[in-house]
Amino acid sequence: MTRNITALVAHALIIAVLLTALGVGSLARDDAQGQTKFTGELERNVTLRILENDTAKEKGYFKELLDAFNAAYAEYGIVAVDANMDQYTDLEQDGPYGYGPDVLYQANDALMKYTDGKHIQPLPVEKLECYEQISQQAWDAYTVEYDGEEYVFGVPVNIQGPLLYYRKDLLPEGWQENWDREGDGVPDMVEYWTELYAYSRLLREESGGAKLGYMKSLFDPYFSSGFLFSYGGYVFGEGGTDTGDIGFSAGEARKGARVLRQLASAMNQDCIDDTVTVNAYSMLANGTYFATMTTPDVYTLFIDELAKEYMRTDGLDEADAYARAEENLVAADIPKLPASGDLEDRTGETVESVMMGGINGYAISAYTRAPNAALAFVDFATGYEMISRRNELLGIAPAREDVAEKVGGLSETINADLDAGRIAVMPSTRAVAQIWTPTQTFFSDLAKDPFRLPEEQKYLSLDELQRGLENVDAQIYSAIHTLN
Amino acid sequence: MRELIKRADGRVTASMLVMGLGQLLYRQWAKGIMYLAVQAGYIIYLVTVGARDLFGFFTLGSVESNPWYGIEGDNSVIMLIMGVLAIIVTVLYILVYISNIKDVYATQKRVEAGGRPKLFREELAELLDAKFYRTVLFVPILGVCVFNILPVVFMILVAFTNYGGDIVPPALVDWVGFENFKKILALGEFAPTFFKILGWNFLWAILSTAINYFGGLSLALLLNKKCVRGKVFWRAFPILAYAIPGFITLLGFKFMFSYGGPINHYITEAGRQAVGFLDLDAKWSARVIGLLVNAWISIPSSMLLATGILSNAEQSQYEAARLDGAGAFQQFRHLTLPFVVFSTTPVLISQFIGNFNNFGIFYFLRGGLYIDGYFLASDTDLLINWLYNLSIDNNYYAIGAAISLIIFIITSVISLAVYVSSPAYRQEETYK
Repeated sequence: MTRNITALVAHALIIAVLLTALGVGSLARDDAQGQTKFTGELERNVTLRILENDTAKEKGYFKELLDAFNAAYAEYGIVAVDANMDQYTDLEQDGPYGYGPDVLYQANDALMKYTDGKHIQPLPVEKLECYEQISQQAWDAYTVEYDGEEYVFGVPVNIQGPLLYYRKDLLPEGWQENWDREGDGVPDMVEYWTELYAYSRLLREESGGAKLGYMKSLFDPYFSSGFLFSYGGYVFGEGGTDTGDIGFSAGEARKGARVLRQLASAMNQDCIDDTVTVNAYSMLANGTYFATMTTPDVYTLFIDELAKEYMRTDGLDEADAYARAEENLVAADIPKLPASGDLEDRTGETVESVMMGGINGYAISAYTRAPNAALAFVDFATGYEMISRRNELLGIAPAREDVAEKVGGLSETINADLDAGRIAVMPSTRAVAQIWTPTQTFFSDLAKDPFRLPEEQKYLSLDELQRGLENVDAQIYSAIHTLN
Repeated sequence: MRELIKRADGRVTASMLVMGLGQLLYRQWAKGIMYLAVQAGYIIYLVTVGARDLFGFFTLGSVESNPWYGIEGDNSVIMLIMGVLAIIVTVLYILVYISNIKDVYATQKRVEAGGRPKLFREELAELLDAKFYRTVLFVPILGVCVFNILPVVFMILVAFTNYGGDIVPPALVDWVGFENFKKILALGEFAPTFFKILGWNFLWAILSTAINYFGGLSLALLLNKKCVRGKVFWRAFPILAYAIPGFITLLGFKFMFSYGGPINHYITEAGRQAVGFLDLDAKWSARVIGLLVNAWISIPSSMLLATGILSNAEQSQYEAARLDGAGAFQQFRHLTLPFVVFSTTPVLISQFIGNFNNFGIFYFLRGGLYIDGYFLASDTDLLINWLYNLSIDNNYYAIGAAISLIIFIITSVISLAVYVSSPAYRQEETYK
């Protein structure tokens, strides 16, 4: 019996000793030394997987870009291909395991959430041709400080900021006399929110609700947060980096909330959910809505819908319908707000609207095996020619000021808005993901308020609005910090 | 085992020390070599990756990667998975080791009884005959270990780490014991949400299962009536509802009940104010709509099931009941219901579990809302929706895993309790 127990123990001991010795040995690690990846020497015969957005693919721009780059770098054997991944693919999930694209095109908040985990590579942006042509505000969206040193992680391509879209042919007869108090040739209702509010109410009253003025799904924080920012609200303190300081209720943001509530009262209940977002193209085209707010990249969708409407109702041929649509659909800067925060106050001081925006750009995965080739791609794609072409095909507002200046119009307006601080760029931190649902819930609640029974209305005073906004801040704070 | 250790001879001792040695001493060459190969294979596995993986399971890494400079470090999540795999391999090794000892001891007893050691081909023949179940189950069991047990164990273990939030690879994950469970049950903002959602989740699961089950049964009974003409035609309608992908149906219903949808269109046309059926004030109307939409999607499958079962009902029992003067309801209460419930108890349990974990209904009908008094959730969210909000939308994987574990415990306890106390289990022979 002793012999057998000894044999069993001996076997177990052999395995245990082996396990311990090898296990402990595996813990000993060499201190690895890192090297900078951007040596300037292009990797040869490599394939770069590029992640682009779906619109660039649909409109044929992405194919043009790939073809042009592949032709230019054929002598190095560098081939750029479509990464064939969802445009919102998560590098954090895929990158560490060897998957994911080499180059990514996404919005600044989507890209910059990867910096803490070191999933995207800091770039030597001063070496790029576009460096001098992009404003500091745009570079700031991609700049983060680590250990006292600033790193830039992305190259801005285009600026996203809201614009007011309205139908010029739906302006009232004789608007020059009645709705242009400065006589500057710009209708008051697209220059001041107070006037747009008054005109919206007028339209609704005169038509018995069949015609509406300004319409927007107000629950959408991307478009509604700007009203809070215009009166001193912000997302995170310290320039968007201090997630302990959440500022949707800061300053006099409550005035912006009151403006939103008043706007809702001039709309109908479709503004509470996403009905207006879905219907805006057709409703603006058929004249039910006079104006809405959205981003520049959907300009062509409005034109298409309006042209179809002209062909259907006025019997115009395609060319004439498109010409008329382009003439009548105006994308303008966001109107000014009353300093008092009361849309009934049509004669008081005004303040500039500050709207939430973003800057889309390219970043390079930290897991790419060809960082120099990837940088060459980014340099090529952000060059003057490709950005001009991108603007032509996609209607984006380029971050390159030379291109924006050349094309003028919306591009120049949006660049000017960014430079003047009228676009509040979404903070470049992963915590920004936590702001959407709490703000969406609040804006939805606010939009519904005018349609509640009088005794059930929650946001009648500025104090009540302030409490609502403070609750939003508290919810966001909890979402970010409670479980971390 | 005590007897084995007491009575084992030198050959068995040899196998205790080195696997397969005893078999070789009995001249069972093939089997001895196979056992020896298992031991050699395990040692090679330990030397190459096994020991590292097993140790890594406890440390979850010590060197952080820095992809910016190409510095490769430890990936805690991979280490956790590989660690679990190493434990599974070690457990399998121990089982083979025990079988090696039992096998050689059986041979010892056989020889002591005057027999001879079995030949390899005799043992192979046994594997195709008396021990055939072992042969066919070997590969599936291996598959279950790798594809079922490994992910489940991984999920359970994640609940005991701080994985999630800011701590995702390349950051190093650590063991935190029961910290996540404490947060769920004790954290000021968290615990009330958990209990509110749990209460609603139970109510939802019970109501939706009952509505779907009895709705399907009623429809099946109705369409089973002789007086109903064009049964095939009528049965096709629910099947159409069943055939359309669930999320399409849900998006359709969401549109129907939205402010711009057809229901509100008719309400406003009638001069009334539009109703926010699914908006943030709509706690109970949204819950009721959820129950009805779920019934729309699920009743057809219950109807089909009940139709199939009813076709096997013994008509002579009904005949006898009628002769004894039983009315329609009495026949239903004492004959139809026991018969159908008996046959469908396992399905009923699976429907209850499915409804308890029904993610789609409220995600599609009313997602994207956080209601006051709830932490990252709304008043229609079920635990599974909350789990999604926490682990996917907000990256709190460890907390999500802890909630999964709680859901798993709740659903498995209920399923087992209901099944074990059901006639389907206790009176298996009733309808045979």
